[in-house]
Amino acid sequence: MPKSKPMIPFSGGKMERKDNQSPQGEIAGILVEFLEVAITSVVSLKGIYPPGAFERRKYMNVVVQRARHPQLREYIHSAVSGLLPFVQKGLVERVAVIFYNTDNIPIERFVFKLTVNQSFGSHVEESDLKFSLRSFLIKLSISQPLTTVLPRDCRWEITAYFRSLPQASASKDAEIWIPTDTKQWQQPPLITPIKSMNSEPLGLQLYLEHPSPSELLCG
Amino acid sequence: MSLDSSNSKQRSINSTSSNNQSNTSNSKKRKSNQKTLGMAWGANSLSGSRPSFRSSPFSDFGSYMAVKNKKLQNQFDAQASNSSRSDSYTKPIFDGVSIFVDGFTIPSSQELRQYMLNYGGRFENYFSRHRVTHIICSNLPDSKIKNLRSFSSGLPVVKPMWILDSVAANKLLSWVPYQLNQLANNQPTLSSFFTPKSKPADEGAFTNPICEVKHETGLLCLKDASKDASFSEAGNSFEWRKQATEEHNKLMCENSNKTLIDEPSNRYSEEPKEVEVLEPTNLQEDDESLANNRHQSCPEQSSASVSSHCFDNRGIRGSPRSSVIGPSKQRHSTLKDPNFVENYFKNSRLHFIGTWRNRYRNRFPSLSNGWTKSTNSDVSAGTQKTPIIHIDMDCFFVSVVIRSHPELNDKPVAVCHSYNPKGTAEISSANYSARDYGIKAGMFVRDAKGLCPQLVILPYNFEAYEEVADKFYNILHKHCNRVQAVSCDEAFLDVTDLEGRDPQLLASAIRKEIYEATGCSASAGIAKNMLMARLATSTAKPNGQCYIHPERVDEYLDPLPLKALPGIGHVLAEKLKNKNVQTCGQLRLISKDSLQKDFGIKTGEMLWNYSRGVDNRLVGMIQESKSVGAEVNWGVRFRDFQHAQHFLLDLCKEVSLRLQGCGVQGRTFTLKIKKRRKDAGEPTKFMGCGDCENLSHSITVSIATDDIEVLQRITKQLFGSFHIDVKDIRGVGLQVSRLESADTSRQAPERNSLKSWLMSASESSKEQFDINSIAKECMGTDSEGKNMDGNSSVLHNASVENSVHGINKPSNGEGCSNQNSSVPPLCDLDMGVVESLPSELLSEINEIYGGKLFELITKRKVRGDNSSRSLCFIPPEPALEVEAETSHNSDPVSLSRPAVEMRDEQPILQELQTVPDSGARSNSVAISTAGLENNDLVPSSLSQLDTSVLQQLPEELRADIFEALPAHRIQETSAMGPKTDNERHPLGIKSAADNQPGSTGTGLSNNLWIGNPPLWVDKFKVSNLPILKFVADMYYKANSPESLSSILQCTLAESLHPLDSTCDAWNEAIHSFNELLMSYVKLKIVVDIEEIYVCFRLLRRLSTKSEFFLEVYNLTFPHLQASVDENYGGTLNIHRHN
Repeated sequence: MPKSKPMIPFSGGKMERKDNQSPQGEIAGILVEFLEVAITSVVSLKGIYPPGAFERRKYMNVVVQRARHPQLREYIHSAVSGLLPFVQKGLVERVAVIFYNTDNIPIERFVFKLTVNQSFGSHVEESDLKFSLRSFLIKLSISQPLTTVLPRDCRWEITAYFRSLPQASASKDAEIWIPTDTKQWQQPPLITPIKSMNSEPLGLQLYLEHPSPSELLCG
Repeated sequence: MSLDSSNSKQRSINSTSSNNQSNTSNSKKRKSNQKTLGMAWGANSLSGSRPSFRSSPFSDFGSYMAVKNKKLQNQFDAQASNSSRSDSYTKPIFDGVSIFVDGFTIPSSQELRQYMLNYGGRFENYFSRHRVTHIICSNLPDSKIKNLRSFSSGLPVVKPMWILDSVAANKLLSWVPYQLNQLANNQPTLSSFFTPKSKPADEGAFTNPICEVKHETGLLCLKDASKDASFSEAGNSFEWRKQATEEHNKLMCENSNKTLIDEPSNRYSEEPKEVEVLEPTNLQEDDESLANNRHQSCPEQSSASVSSHCFDNRGIRGSPRSSVIGPSKQRHSTLKDPNFVENYFKNSRLHFIGTWRNRYRNRFPSLSNGWTKSTNSDVSAGTQKTPIIHIDMDCFFVSVVIRSHPELNDKPVAVCHSYNPKGTAEISSANYSARDYGIKAGMFVRDAKGLCPQLVILPYNFEAYEEVADKFYNILHKHCNRVQAVSCDEAFLDVTDLEGRDPQLLASAIRKEIYEATGCSASAGIAKNMLMARLATSTAKPNGQCYIHPERVDEYLDPLPLKALPGIGHVLAEKLKNKNVQTCGQLRLISKDSLQKDFGIKTGEMLWNYSRGVDNRLVGMIQESKSVGAEVNWGVRFRDFQHAQHFLLDLCKEVSLRLQGCGVQGRTFTLKIKKRRKDAGEPTKFMGCGDCENLSHSITVSIATDDIEVLQRITKQLFGSFHIDVKDIRGVGLQVSRLESADTSRQAPERNSLKSWLMSASESSKEQFDINSIAKECMGTDSEGKNMDGNSSVLHNASVENSVHGINKPSNGEGCSNQNSSVPPLCDLDMGVVESLPSELLSEINEIYGGKLFELITKRKVRGDNSSRSLCFIPPEPALEVEAETSHNSDPVSLSRPAVEMRDEQPILQELQTVPDSGARSNSVAISTAGLENNDLVPSSLSQLDTSVLQQLPEELRADIFEALPAHRIQETSAMGPKTDNERHPLGIKSAADNQPGSTGTGLSNNLWIGNPPLWVDKFKVSNLPILKFVADMYYKANSPESLSSILQCTLAESLHPLDSTCDAWNEAIHSFNELLMSYVKLKIVVDIEEIYVCFRLLRRLSTKSEFFLEVYNLTFPHLQASVDENYGGTLNIHRHN
């Protein structure tokens, strides 16, 4: 397991989408947009907020949930769009949506593992990519049985795992993400894959991590 | 508001100060005011300062400057009259020259001004198109280069050296050679050689005049013309000014190439085409004849399958061959591009001298050898007489060139490849008047110019050199039939036979004739031996002759400084000097023993002999060159690896041409590299090699070659072994030694090589057997079961027929030996076998293929090999299959099954045979076995056994047959294993089992998923295990067969045959399936954990239905979890705890 550096978004930062002409920029753009939708879907799926907090929308021709509360929407949006430059550079290894119980111990993690091909040079077929990503949303919507039932008063956050910590001085983009020490499980977690896709420009895998049974005993 | 107030203040200060300050000191400030005109510069606005000017004596800036310039001129004139009056009463050097110094110069503008003062020129402080004649500067900013015309107004831009040199020469030199480097870059850079040429038609028009100008710079008479020429150049549009200079450089090169091309290089340029086009066709022919031979070797009665198979083979081999030809042809076209190496050697004097010898030998082939032996008897007698004349042209390289310039006869002239006077190009030859100035060969032009500013530098004229050298030798050969050419301009004549003629008269006659024919003088030395004759010549030079009477040798040698002796260089001379020995006379006092003790036996003897004027060498004993090579140590700068590779290829081409020119081929190849030392900066010599480490690697192949492709391959290999940053390379040389004559090396017996061994095999059939067995061993034992049995299956029909009919056709044997006598084409080699050979054997085979093999192997490794060749990586099935059969034999029903299987397998096996690399070779071996061994009563190879017949035989009889097999055949039985599926001989099983671990150990399990269908499908399909076959079938039924999950899904859907758990093959099947799964996990774990997850979920479900899958699941699961943990830091949640 490669060591990666978890970071969480520093709220209040704002990130503007840039027009990126490079294939990586294109990929990152699509991916970030997708992540925003997917993370919202995860949060909605987990039922952490009342159902009224979301509204049905269509994205990539799939019915998805969209947060109605501006703060929730803003948090997710700013978090993922803050990742854009790092995704583009291939610095982001994983993006995790982590659900904690009241003791701040992670109960469930939705992990998006990304691989942006840095040497991919040709034009990205946006429609192809979106078609592949669509299957994640479909799979996600039916994967509730795979997930655990969350206890009351849960907390959740988005954490990104970087291959290397970005230099804070190097760019202003880094400022909205701050290093964090997310609590880790003592035992290696159980992994339940939800969806994987691997294309030339982009590899993306979504899987669940749950604490292993022994962990629960210890905890 | 506040701005306004400060404005008015400033204004007031301005108006007062301008009146007070002296005009000259304030000029700069004024100028800056002038420049900023129009800028919104509030505080210093001009409208404010204008009134102050109105009140000054100057009405405007222009009139002020006019007055200032006039004043400066007056000052200058006054100083000039002071300084110049003192030392010169002739016409001053810089009369009419008026310089303007731009920017920083060395010497400084003040010093230059002083020169102008002293030597009658003018110095302008301010540039004016009307007053200035030359702009002096050492460097120009890019913007000024780009906009040269508006900067210089078309005036010459010259470096300050021009003034210094003119002063040194005490006359006005042409400024053209001193033109600013940035404008006239005479020194071609490496990259300019590589840029593709494209000449706009109109450019030739102005480059030619420039060439002329360059030619005549030394004549100092074309100042005006040269000006015009360069102006016409400058007059062209500025956008492509830069490009034009580049283009001009290139054309300069080309021009010089055109005129300087020497005959051999001309000839060379055509040669490679022929050579390389011929080569493949030859091979093709070989191939065909080989295939034909093979075809012939098949007995006429042989079944159709054999012969058609041969044709198949040929067809297949045709295709890789043609694909090989394709790229190599392409490469020819790129080689035609102008390149550095070619140009380098075209312009190299050393190269001319080096290659001249071949030319000479071609011209006088009979003379250079043939009579040397007969002269032995004359030696003792000859020492008494004066039989040797040494003739040497006087400063050959210069005098040939200045033949056409009689006006230069008395002037100092040097020959050099570059005109650039500041340059660090080396003088290669200087005439005697130049030598009087201390100019020597090897000196930098810069230094030479310093010693003798009026030195005229001319370029080489290789055409003329060749012409003169030819005439020179024609004359020598006319007078004397014993000529030893030392160089193009130097030779020894042995005139012992010409008793009737006085050697001195002869020498003068020859010299006279040479002068009449060539216009160049030669000097001659006459003495008793070559050493003395040579020394005599050095005394005679220039244009004289010297006779050293045998009795006066000592007298001559006594005062002679040691360095004059040939073979004594700096180091040796220095050592001797330390011993207080500086002349031959002193050297003679030292005993031979002590000389040999101090300097080694050879050198000591040489010293002893030479100091006594003893030289036993014979005229005509041309030392055969021991090595041929080419080395480039100038201008070597590589951008990147590709660049270096390209250069290497060119170098190989050159070396190959030289080898061919000498008619030799070499076995040892040494690549020398000059690597810049870490602390070494740019060398003083422009583009020189500077301080370098010398590295070299060499490789020896068993067969001498001059083939360019082989050379290139070996060179690449050698280059790879350096592991060096190409940017540090300052010189590259390739040398070929262990030379053999091209004719003899073709037939040279080489007993120790594998090839010769193979060749000699045809001599006796016994040996042939051995080879066959060895070959079989090679093919068979090394995880090569499949291809082998593929062949044998087709062949045993033929062989059995052979043995039955007892046909013993001589043609069979011939055919076989033919096949064996030539190394199979590279593409026919089974790489799997080759790679598993012992390293010594491998390197020997590599040598046979001239290094191609290693290259191929590394290529294969890099490629990860998804070609059909990887078939040979499959662990052989024999054990599986034989075991399966043994398990079946208890079951009467299953007896029919193998036969059916066999039929099923045929197409696959056919496929296997058509794999080009292994098929052909193993085939030929197998056929040859068939052909040769039919004179044996008992077939010595199992390949000749029809297994179906064998199968029908009673048990005891079969055992007898196996026992009758020669011991060395036993291994074959293992190789034949899978095909001879009914053979239940224990030996076969045992050896197959022996084979198994080794081959599976090397198993590249990932390869199982390579190909379409993936390898495992074929593997499982041909296996005897029903469950594996079943899975293989599922591959074809599955919706998306590329994913295992889909196959497992299918497997789950289909009802499973209950597996007999007592079956022997049980473990084997589990092992195979486990291997398949693990390779799949390896393949997918990083990118597609979902697929792995699905697979194992399915597998788990399968495991509830089938014992087999349960066991596989249990075996694989820990590996899977370890792999997941490694990649994801967790375990796969197969069992779903929640």
